[in-house]
Amino acid sequence: MFRFRLDGSTGVPPYLQLVHQVRQSLLLGYLLQGDRLPTVKDVAGDLAINPNTVVKAYRQLEHEGLAAGRPGQGTFITGSLSPDPPGAPGAQQALRESLEKWLRDAEDAGLSDDAVTALIAVARHDVNKEKV
Amino acid sequence: MIWVSWRQHRAQAIACLGLLVALTVYAIVLGTSMRTAFSHDDLAGCLARSQGTSCQGAVQAFTNKFGTLVNVAFWAVLLIAPGLIGVLVGAPLIASELEYGTWRLAWSQTVPRTRWLATKLALVTGGLVLFGAAATAVITWYRAPMDRLTGHFLHNIYDFEGPVLTAYILAAFGFAVLAGLLIRRSIPAMIVAFVPWLAIRLVVEFVFRPRFMTPLTLHQVSCTNGCGAGLGSVPQITGRIGDWVLNIGHGHGITYQPADRFWHFQFIEAGIFVALAAAALGATIWLVHRRAA
Amino acid sequence: MTDDTDSSTPALQADRLGRRYGRVWGLRDCTLTVPAGAIAGLVGPNGAGKTTLLQMIIGLLQPTEGQVSVFGQTSHADAAATLARVSFVAQDHPLYRDFSVADMFHLGRAMNPSWDQELAQERMDRLGIPLKRKVKHLSGGQQAQISLTMALAKRAPLLVLDEPVSSLDPVARLEFMRDVMATAADTGLTVLIASHVVSELERFCDWLIVLTSGHVQIAGPVDGLIAEHRLLTIPRATPDAELPGLRIHRTDSDRHSTALVRADPARLAARLRPGWQADPVGFEQLVMAYLQHRPQTAAADDPVLAAARPGPAAKEVTR
Repeated sequence: MFRFRLDGSTGVPPYLQLVHQVRQSLLLGYLLQGDRLPTVKDVAGDLAINPNTVVKAYRQLEHEGLAAGRPGQGTFITGSLSPDPPGAPGAQQALRESLEKWLRDAEDAGLSDDAVTALIAVARHDVNKEKV
Repeated sequence: MIWVSWRQHRAQAIACLGLLVALTVYAIVLGTSMRTAFSHDDLAGCLARSQGTSCQGAVQAFTNKFGTLVNVAFWAVLLIAPGLIGVLVGAPLIASELEYGTWRLAWSQTVPRTRWLATKLALVTGGLVLFGAAATAVITWYRAPMDRLTGHFLHNIYDFEGPVLTAYILAAFGFAVLAGLLIRRSIPAMIVAFVPWLAIRLVVEFVFRPRFMTPLTLHQVSCTNGCGAGLGSVPQITGRIGDWVLNIGHGHGITYQPADRFWHFQFIEAGIFVALAAAALGATIWLVHRRAA
Repeated sequence: MTDDTDSSTPALQADRLGRRYGRVWGLRDCTLTVPAGAIAGLVGPNGAGKTTLLQMIIGLLQPTEGQVSVFGQTSHADAAATLARVSFVAQDHPLYRDFSVADMFHLGRAMNPSWDQELAQERMDRLGIPLKRKVKHLSGGQQAQISLTMALAKRAPLLVLDEPVSSLDPVARLEFMRDVMATAADTGLTVLIASHVVSELERFCDWLIVLTSGHVQIAGPVDGLIAEHRLLTIPRATPDAELPGLRIHRTDSDRHSTALVRADPARLAARLRPGWQADPVGFEQLVMAYLQHRPQTAAADDPVLAAARPGPAAKEVTR
């Protein structure tokens, strides 16, 4: 049986942690198409969490096309995640090159590694905000 | 609910049974010995002929042999024993539930607390009545030979040869259950219940009992032997065994309660203590019912 | 599970529920709903009125005003119908220490027509607790499990837990709550957990009630409540009046302030100013803010707030 874990200190909502763990396992090949995810009762009883949290997580996975519920049988992995990011190989190569150029520019401007990481975090936050 | 009441009082029931067994063993040993002595000296025949006046020597010998054992030590214990038994059983009944918080378990099951209490009280009261009746029967049986000399109207015999013994226990029990509810702690409740019980017990016995019915007065007495009253006199100064002589007033006559009033007095006094028990237990049930509201 | 409940009957409905002790109100003007199947957390400091509220739900205490109903039926103190609908595990899990485990179950059977002896037995087998052992010889965690078993075997549709794990070590805590969650998943049991330890509740609860000083500060579904709140980072000088929605809690630093506000999400987005930052609030932050919250007057034009906030402040309208 696939066992989940819960980290109370990350601040990430429990249901998202479950979704991430499934995605992660798919990427690493620990979960394969056709595998059955543990029942809501098993997860709730294993982690001592609200069963609705598990239901939410499984629904999210269904929404992302990664899993599907079969009535009376359980929830099964239906999708897969390739280790390669989406998009055409050419587009990905271009992104990679512009990223490396940007990093060199940042270094020339005198930014430390920490400053670069902070800048990326702020920029990502602003971009995500535009979506709210 | 019956099983629950039984299980919660099982230890107490076993203790009372043990007490009863010990009492019975003691009674059989002493009682057999008394009966042997009684028939050996043909005291029965003498009493039938002369109410004891003609065999003072044998009477003296008998009472000397069995008197102190039977009367003094027993009376001290038996005065407080019914009270102790009543408070030991009654005080923890509600108090322990409140003290240890188990009322939150007991009263949140599907049985309303008044039914819980009423069933418990009924069962435990029934048990105490059985105990009291058995103890009374045992004591009455073994004392029978001695009673033929002294009657059973005298203070320290009356207290345990009729319904009063059971009534004393029930009154102490009722006071203790109520005290347990009000004080919420078992041991303090025992004390708070016992002290008034004892006070009432003594007041009823020494102040009211002589006056349950108007005493009779005897002015002329021809007395040859045993010209006194109480345990040592066989017969009493009234000339009969079993009378309760209240006062020998020189010039005013002798006031006494005749022997045939014994049962009347027993039921009056038992009635007083049973009424006290009922009042205390009734108040307890009413208060428990009101506590939720 | 009783047959007279359908999914639309709330498990719990309180209407202006109150209880007075002498002259002091232990609980006042309590109005809330908990839907069937929810796992609700009742949070508040000691003395806030949690136990009073629980006892009125269970039937151990009669309300002074208002009423509370469980699955559509009004709770009356000391009535068998009320007592039958709720299973209760009191704080510190009281048990009769001289009883054996089997004796405790016998009591359960004798005092509850709905008792499920098979369930009790099965739990003991799974937990490895011998039936003949006396309660006083069990560990604290095992005693808590016995108390829980007594409650679960009663098979009532609502389970009320009063500070269930405060006296237990961490492993015992986990075991206890695992069983509660698994049972809830299995049977759709509605659970109400009273606690003053906020950090532990997030993983259990999908419904939240915050109680302070005898009044409900907030009550509702966790997801919905979190969606209706934002943590704003604003310049220190910004007055409360300019904040979108109702200001629940504010922390001021030298140059900036952090304010927790409650508002309709669309209105919030519309009234955000440049230079302000809006972040979602976490469960624990939300609860802590309401535990410290002093009710204010409502913004008259915000319908979400007028409907949302119970208590005396809702009656006052200024501006």
